[in-house]
Amino acid sequence: MTHAIDVRNLHKAFGDLEVLQGIDFTVETGEVVCVLGPSGSGKSTLLRCLNRLEEPNGGQILIDGEDMTDPDADVDQLRTNIGMVFQQFNLFPHLTVLKNLTVAQTGVLGRPKAEAISIAREMLERVGLSDKTHDYPAHLSGGQQQRVAIARALSMKPKMMLFDEPTSALDPELVGEVLDVMRTLADEGMTMMVVTHEIGFAQEVADRVVFMDAGVVVEEGRPEQVLEHPAHERTKKFLRMVSEH
Amino acid sequence: MKKLKPRQRLFVYQLMMYGLAAVFVLVVATQADWPKIQKNFFNTEIAADMFPEVITSAVKNTALYTALSFVLGMVLALALALMRLSSLKPFRAFAIGYIELFRGLPALITLLFVGFGLPIAFSGFRIPGGVLGRGSVGLALVAGAYMAETLRAGIEAVPKGQTEAARSLGMSQTRTMFTIILPQAFRIIIPPLTNELVLLIKDTSLFFILGSTPGTKELTKFARDFMNAERNATPLTVVAILYLLITLPLTFLVRRLERSAAKAR
Ligand SMILES: Nc1ncnc2c1ncn2[C@@H]1O[C@H](COP(=O)(O)OP(=O)(O)OP(=O)(O)O)[C@@H](O)[C@H]1O
Ligand SMILES: [Mg+2]
Repeated sequence: MTHAIDVRNLHKAFGDLEVLQGIDFTVETGEVVCVLGPSGSGKSTLLRCLNRLEEPNGGQILIDGEDMTDPDADVDQLRTNIGMVFQQFNLFPHLTVLKNLTVAQTGVLGRPKAEAISIAREMLERVGLSDKTHDYPAHLSGGQQQRVAIARALSMKPKMMLFDEPTSALDPELVGEVLDVMRTLADEGMTMMVVTHEIGFAQEVADRVVFMDAGVVVEEGRPEQVLEHPAHERTKKFLRMVSEH
Repeated sequence: MKKLKPRQRLFVYQLMMYGLAAVFVLVVATQADWPKIQKNFFNTEIAADMFPEVITSAVKNTALYTALSFVLGMVLALALALMRLSSLKPFRAFAIGYIELFRGLPALITLLFVGFGLPIAFSGFRIPGGVLGRGSVGLALVAGAYMAETLRAGIEAVPKGQTEAARSLGMSQTRTMFTIILPQAFRIIIPPLTNELVLLIKDTSLFFILGSTPGTKELTKFARDFMNAERNATPLTVVAILYLLITLPLTFLVRRLERSAAKAR
């Protein structure tokens, strides 16, 4: 059986700094995997290697069975299968919300404009922002911007979604609305990989939790197992540190 | 003398400055030969004689030369800026060499090269379009070098996350540049670009070096010829006012844009 994500012996270094030192893991279709780990452990780098925003130095990445690391792979085309949501939202400030959602649909996928717009409206409704269709990003709150960013990624009808600390840049009172959208998405069966510091979200929504430290996967398993009965000292230390905050 | 409080000291200082200014104005006003100045610089009859040609021909030509130089310069600047940011070293080297060369030369030299050097180098080759074509190409070669650096700074000022978001949606490098990065970069550089435009307007006065016919004179050449014919400096006053009428609104606009950009940040 092919895995949604299949990472084998992934290595990545920035100069002398070895950020990923042989990562192996798989994500199944429909699975929600949360990645935890201290700052600098390589979580973002791992996520960014998956769609090759970062060029891996070694190893293999299979996305739905297709080799992302093959030098001949059409990376642009493969990326359309992988939605990505960033910590800083990264909406296009010169385009309206609607245009943010349609620009890649029409330009990259070649969907007719009318179809792109109707998909965009559908996705905006899913994240509860139908009334913001013609606003510019600057006029939205952080939480609304991040929901638009999620809708933008969904508009491509990707096979999976990657989230890199999607709530870390938000005021505390806006975190909930974004997590709600993500929870709904998980319930609907979307394959998701979520880097987060929201232990509560991981506990409740994740099928599996992966704990990373210093460029390696230290342990992984069911959330109740990793979060409540961690096997490794490094995991325990991290969880103690997070719960103090 | 009793020691003054800071406020009083400031008051005395200001009083002295105003006094000095008043004396200066008074000296100029009483010593200058007003009737002569009026006759030579503000002669209404000669001024009236300049119309309507100064508008229908001279201002029109200045505007036309500026516009074409700006558009050609912008196209060149775009190519140079993209080369400058290219991952290919020969492109970067060429762009840097070009930019340094043309920023280092007086615009007049470049114009002379285009107007008279090219036909010698390429036996008889002439850039089409007469004074308009040759002058605009020459000025665009210079303006392109300056605007390329402006544009590069604008592109680099767009946050990296914009590129990452676009690429993650499957956009190619080229599509990302043209639909996501450049529109934002241009918005950022509108103020410095407007300044370049003002410089260009003034630089079109160098076109006289390429020769002229009655129909191709821009403001400065038009004024000089009129001045020589009338033996009177009034034409200079008239075109000076016309230049200011064009450039001042632009510089005010720049200041306003810069202020609102500073506020947005
Ligand atoms: N482009 C880069 N160039 C050089 N070093 C980098 C680059 N990107 C990341 N690093 C380094 O790689 C290491 C891992 O970074 P990464 O962003 O993957 O960590 P992280 O686990 O996501 O941390 P955080 O929780 O702070 O986001 C860090 O030491 C970081 O400084
Ligand atoms: Mg990170």
